[in-house]
Amino acid sequence: MKTATCALPLRLLFAALALGPLTQAWAKTPADQLIVGMSLVNLFSLDPANAPGLDASGINANLYDTLVKRDQGDPEKHLPQLAERWDVSDNGRRVTFHLRQDVTFHSGNPLTATDVAWSLYRVMKLNYGLATTWKAYGYTRDNIQALIRATDLHTLVIDLPQGMDPLLVIDSLATSPSAVVVDRQLALAHEKNGDLGAAWLITHEAGSGPFVLSKWNANDVLVLTRFDRYWGGAAALKRVVMSNMTESQSLRLMLQRGDLDLAYGMAAPDVRALDGERGLQVQSLPRGTMYYVAMSMKQPEFAKREVREAVRSLIDYQGMDRQVMPYYGTLNQRPMQLGLAARLPDPGYRLDVAHARELLAQAGYPDGFSTTIRTLSEPPFIDIAARLQATLAQGGIKASIITGTGNQVYGAMRARNFEIIVARGAERYPHPYFSLRTFAYNPDNRDSAGLPNFQGWRASFFDPSLNGLIDQAGAERDTGKRLSLYHQAQARYDQQVGPILMLSQMTDTVVSAADIKGFTGDDAGATRYLGVHKQR
Amino acid sequence: MVVMTASALGARASGTARRASTVLVTLLGLLMLTFFIGRVMPLDPVLAVVGPDADHSTYQQVYLAMGLDKPLWTQFGLYLNDLLHGNFGNALLTGHPVLDDIRRVFPATLELATLAILFGVLIGLPLGVCAASNQGRLGDHVARVITLFGYSTPIFWLGMIGLLVFYAWLGWAGGAGRIDLGYDGLVPDVTGLLLIDTSLAGDWEAFASALRHILLPALILGLNSVAYISRMTRSFMLEQLSQEYIITARVKGLSRRQVVWGHAFRNILVQLLTVVALAYGSLLEGAVLIETVFAWPGFGQYLTSSLMLGDMNAVMGCVLVIGLIFVALNLISDALYKVFDPRTR
Repeated sequence: MKTATCALPLRLLFAALALGPLTQAWAKTPADQLIVGMSLVNLFSLDPANAPGLDASGINANLYDTLVKRDQGDPEKHLPQLAERWDVSDNGRRVTFHLRQDVTFHSGNPLTATDVAWSLYRVMKLNYGLATTWKAYGYTRDNIQALIRATDLHTLVIDLPQGMDPLLVIDSLATSPSAVVVDRQLALAHEKNGDLGAAWLITHEAGSGPFVLSKWNANDVLVLTRFDRYWGGAAALKRVVMSNMTESQSLRLMLQRGDLDLAYGMAAPDVRALDGERGLQVQSLPRGTMYYVAMSMKQPEFAKREVREAVRSLIDYQGMDRQVMPYYGTLNQRPMQLGLAARLPDPGYRLDVAHARELLAQAGYPDGFSTTIRTLSEPPFIDIAARLQATLAQGGIKASIITGTGNQVYGAMRARNFEIIVARGAERYPHPYFSLRTFAYNPDNRDSAGLPNFQGWRASFFDPSLNGLIDQAGAERDTGKRLSLYHQAQARYDQQVGPILMLSQMTDTVVSAADIKGFTGDDAGATRYLGVHKQR
Repeated sequence: MVVMTASALGARASGTARRASTVLVTLLGLLMLTFFIGRVMPLDPVLAVVGPDADHSTYQQVYLAMGLDKPLWTQFGLYLNDLLHGNFGNALLTGHPVLDDIRRVFPATLELATLAILFGVLIGLPLGVCAASNQGRLGDHVARVITLFGYSTPIFWLGMIGLLVFYAWLGWAGGAGRIDLGYDGLVPDVTGLLLIDTSLAGDWEAFASALRHILLPALILGLNSVAYISRMTRSFMLEQLSQEYIITARVKGLSRRQVVWGHAFRNILVQLLTVVALAYGSLLEGAVLIETVFAWPGFGQYLTSSLMLGDMNAVMGCVLVIGLIFVALNLISDALYKVFDPRTR
């Protein structure tokens, strides 16, 4: 009797277990597809005028083309793309681009200089975050059509509104996510209420790149299909399938089982476990983005130079680099990326509690004070904040940690409503001028100026002399003089104890199957899959 | 033939009207609460659109375009007005109309939750009956251990261990996602339910892949329902088994099996309907953790991502759908009461 009532669940359990082996199959990805696992949760839009994230850059780099591209990551050397060649006028105020004549968009429309000019006008007209790149050169929605224009089907003239080094503009044309060329006819065919196709382009594309967008379900999957008539030759792979996977251990298991070809954004312990494993390869890609600790100079404590210097001496840079940052970043204490000719060597800051205590006493805080550290609730931010909290305590500064989402943490910083923040930012591509502008430049320190695009403004750091040096460097065309100005600016920032203290330069680690060849990571995640293939 | 009098018809009509008005008031209250909680949350939807590096003019432009400068009651009124015209607004996360998004993500959760509840019912009911009819003996203790495991084991951990054992070591289950990624986008999307769509397409390899992928998360998700359903079944059964009519039936010579399944179990069916409906409703809300571990693009993930962004259009749309799910399940279980319990007719 008892057996009769209990028999059914047991039979079901055995049946379930028996079903397992029937469905067993060793997974292997298709030879002509690249299966990528990554987080797509920050991918909100593919519109080149409003797609600032790294994820969107990586996808748009495959859907669209730019006029030029950087040569080996050097911000002062560029190679042809859509533009076969270009000339800079003697006074440096005009750049003329001569375009290839064999390029068609995915729609079949020919790509012309009018499309290029219209794409940049569109960015200014819509005025999303990426427009700040062009505003920095003096372009506005009113003047851009007169200054950037097609003189014939394949000639584009770009006039600079103010005295700037034209190399900067050329570099922005190579690297800004907003500099890609949009199919004007196709976008305007989907225009609604004068939005220049903005609503449509959030989820569709109008490019000429080596891949076509064939499916995108937000937070799920994005599929790129080869564009067979690509002017640079068709890609080796037929499809690239990107799946939204936020759980690092799932990525790890799928790589090990051969269900994924490539994974981005894995947690350091998982990368460490896979590093050296047979059949997989680990590649570290340096990014232009920096991890930093920022203090708000609106707070009376941090307005004092001695306190900022004390905090600078209460960070265990080397310990973090060894224990927290492997696979996340490389030690860098300058507001400029490693490897740039304009960058001064690291100043060699290290944890020095005694020195910090002296400085705090001089500033009138012999017993320290209380403060808060805002940061994201994810590694490595939370680990950096925890270590910072511990070393600040050694100096007598009692800091409590407030965690939040990116929206909350960066929102507070934009509103200048924070004390200390552990965050990540800066230009995506390494560049001396743009890095200094991001971290050290602040043209107007009033709250009402509303300049949250400058991290210097967010931290209320204002030094007119430093602004002047950065402005001069941006306009200087002589390489030697320009280098000297960049060096002076870094030295000045160091001397003024800027409130944004650099810790580390971001590295992104990509783990892939060993048979993936031709994958060369890009400084800003804008990797093209054009040359990627499988060697089986 | 049943002939209804005018007064009976009137009573039925007023009952329906009362029920409809209760549903409407409930949904309105739910929307209002969500809307105002959403507005006081420390999340800035404008930042999600413009990015953290946008300048002030860009921020203001989007702030005004989103109508955030208007008083809260005006914003809520405008939202309701749009809703009455069938416009749930566009989601920040996807750029698509919220309704389209829900239509896309909901089948993934529906498919997973349905398999999970099937598992929950098929295992949970017999387990509960087994435990009750063996109270204090081995069967009861085994059932208690299983339910304790189902209740107390973190589902996130269970998902990871399940992937490790059944996917990575044994190779029985598919990995994360709804199907092997090589098939993604190749199966025509008819119902959104992959097991059905692959069958309709006659693509049995893709069907096998989808089945391999769904079994493990459904079983893990269903384990929690097994625990809930079996404990409730046990409790209802114990109450029935202590009734005098059970002793009478046994004295009259009915076998224990007939008494347990034919009499006691039949009498708890109505109560079980509510339990199963509630369990199914919870599963349909989306299981965020299991969806995260298995990269399952379902309703739970969509709702959570929208919430983290402060994307109130999407959040309100999801809340409305959840409200409707519970209303629908209540209506269905009310209708089924009448089938199983003549006294409620």
